[in-house]
Amino acid sequence: MTALLSIRDLSVRYRRDGIEVAALKGVSLDVEAGERLAIIGESGSGKSTLALATAGLLAGGAGIGGTIDWQASQFQTPRSVAPPSVLPDISPARGEIGSSAAGSLAATQEIGEGGDDDLISPLAGEMPGRAAGGATERRSSAIGDNNIPLLGRDIGFVFQDPSSSLDPVMPVGKQIAEVAHTHLGLGWSQSLARAKTLLERVRLPDPESALRAYPHQLSGGQKQRVAIAAAIAAGPKLLIADEATSALDTIVQAEIVSLIRRLVAEDGMTLVFVSHDIALAATLAERIAVLRHGELIELGEVHRIIDAPRHAYTRTLLDAHLGLDAEPLLDRQGASA
Amino acid sequence: MTVLAVSKLSKRYRRGGKPLAAVDDVSFEIGPAETLALAGPSGSGKSTIARLVLRLLEPDAGRIEFEGADFLSLSGATLRARRARLQMVFQDPLAAFNPRATVARVLDDPLRIHGIASRAERPRRIAALLERVGLDAGLAARAIHEISGGQRQRVAIARAIATQPSLIVLDEAVSALDVSVRGQILELLLDLQRQERISYLFISHDLGVIRAVAHRVVILDAGRVAESGEARAVIDNPQSTIGKALVAATPKLNRNTPP
Ligand SMILES: Nc1ncnc2c1ncn2[C@@H]1O[C@H](COP(=O)(O)OP(=O)(O)OP(=O)(O)O)[C@@H](O)[C@H]1O
Ligand SMILES: Nc1ncnc2c1ncn2[C@@H]1O[C@H](COP(=O)(O)OP(=O)(O)OP(=O)(O)O)[C@@H](O)[C@H]1O
Ligand SMILES: [Mg+2]
Ligand SMILES: [Mg+2]
Repeated sequence: MTALLSIRDLSVRYRRDGIEVAALKGVSLDVEAGERLAIIGESGSGKSTLALATAGLLAGGAGIGGTIDWQASQFQTPRSVAPPSVLPDISPARGEIGSSAAGSLAATQEIGEGGDDDLISPLAGEMPGRAAGGATERRSSAIGDNNIPLLGRDIGFVFQDPSSSLDPVMPVGKQIAEVAHTHLGLGWSQSLARAKTLLERVRLPDPESALRAYPHQLSGGQKQRVAIAAAIAAGPKLLIADEATSALDTIVQAEIVSLIRRLVAEDGMTLVFVSHDIALAATLAERIAVLRHGELIELGEVHRIIDAPRHAYTRTLLDAHLGLDAEPLLDRQGASA
Repeated sequence: MTVLAVSKLSKRYRRGGKPLAAVDDVSFEIGPAETLALAGPSGSGKSTIARLVLRLLEPDAGRIEFEGADFLSLSGATLRARRARLQMVFQDPLAAFNPRATVARVLDDPLRIHGIASRAERPRRIAALLERVGLDAGLAARAIHEISGGQRQRVAIARAIATQPSLIVLDEAVSALDVSVRGQILELLLDLQRQERISYLFISHDLGVIRAVAHRVVILDAGRVAESGEARAVIDNPQSTIGKALVAATPKLNRNTPP
């Protein structure tokens, strides 16, 4: 397998009210091309931070160290202009580069939020840029120029709350078409036709009229289908879903999970699926990465993680899961009505 | 003997000019020290039933009998007195509080309002309540926003048991908690049930949790009872279409090694 991206020694610090929070501490991880990788862990363990860093979406003010090395041939090249973000509410961000790893890995990219990759020096302490550009590239002979993955074109991102990625005052068809228009250079009518096809692919009932629907006219599950359609509209290589089904009821969650599985298979996408639910992660992913307090404590094939966890914390998570085959707590306590 | 008997309960809303039967002819009973779970997909009417039982909402039809009295006909001082016996814990119940309020303040309110303890006695009562839910008494001085989600849910439970209720309505009370914390809170609830014989109306979308803690379950679909029975029997072998769909949609771990 070839790695689509290699994350090395990634550290992220947030600053809030003068206090520093180390959200990620030296995380190293390869995402293989075409795999389905789940990132699990409890609240605050750094899952979203890892997903956002990978997509180049970290908010300004976050202190970032380490590298993300993208496999050049996996992405469409070259790029000349930074297209607008498909996520209208993500504000332009300013990143900082930690100096710790900057000098050690020569043939890799520095991460940060810069869209103007040409201007970025790998050793810069701080740099301006846009969140939309995704990871920026350190000029290096091993990778070559201008093959920076772009959010929207190369990376699709689905959030827990579809309302945060959909514009409430724009028909959903137009929102999906805009991604195709921006990133694929399609004309407007072609883009709208593609939007309709995508609404069919995500199985929205009556796609023709759904094109003209506004987000508030759709249920939570339907909105999430639209958000997925927008995320994959430009045919990205990598789909990142951050708790994309956590706000949905079990039945709708199962539908969205099988939708994601089907789309990823049909388009040959790589999937990074963030979830706090180890059982859900196990149903969808091939490999599971376990985060705790900002550290990657375990990574492996789903069956290995579930049947033979190496880390005590992974075992704790597994034991705390209340499946339909678990021994009822009522019995353990010996209580009865 | 029953603590709560709900019969033929109905509640309609109007949405977009059309009537919507949020709760439609629902009946169930809860005995002492019993946990009855309400399950069902989103919008099936679980929270509406909770609010009707708590009289935060008036039904269009039906009867609610609580501790043998016609709960819907109570008003004024009798209603207030009876309400002390019927408490609630929501997903993030303390979100409604001023986040700067201290834990002591949150626990002081029910003791004062229901005249359970004198002013001088209350600090000792508060310390005992905190201890009862496994929290350090030192936490009393902390603000709500300064404690963790799990600690907040313990405070919410302490607040609920302050008035010595016979029934607590829990609406997705453990849904937002990390699994490790969730286990501890469920153990606490079972422990309280055994020792104080409290009954629970336990609302959850998670069949695994329901199967672990509930004696019986009512599965709702579009406001109606789809099926009901002993929790494990129903979940292990659902008969209704919605029951089967809920079980099929529950993620399974399929561990191959003994835990
Ligand atoms: N913008 C921010 N500013 C300050 N601190 C932040 C910010 N975002 C996250 N954090 C902190 O960083 C840590 C990791 O947060 P992150 O959101 O990555 O966790 P998570 O695993 O996604 O949690 P959850 O399951 O609750 O979504 C936490 O301590 C969190 O409070
Ligand atoms: N105030 C209201 N006005 C109009 N309709 C309402 C109102 N509150 C609830 N409903 C509708 O009543 C039905 C039942 O809602 P309810 O909140 O009881 O469901 P639930 O089972 O608790 O769902 P969830 O699992 O999403 O919490 C839904 O169709 C909902 O949209
Ligand atoms: Mg998160
Ligand atoms: Mg509800």
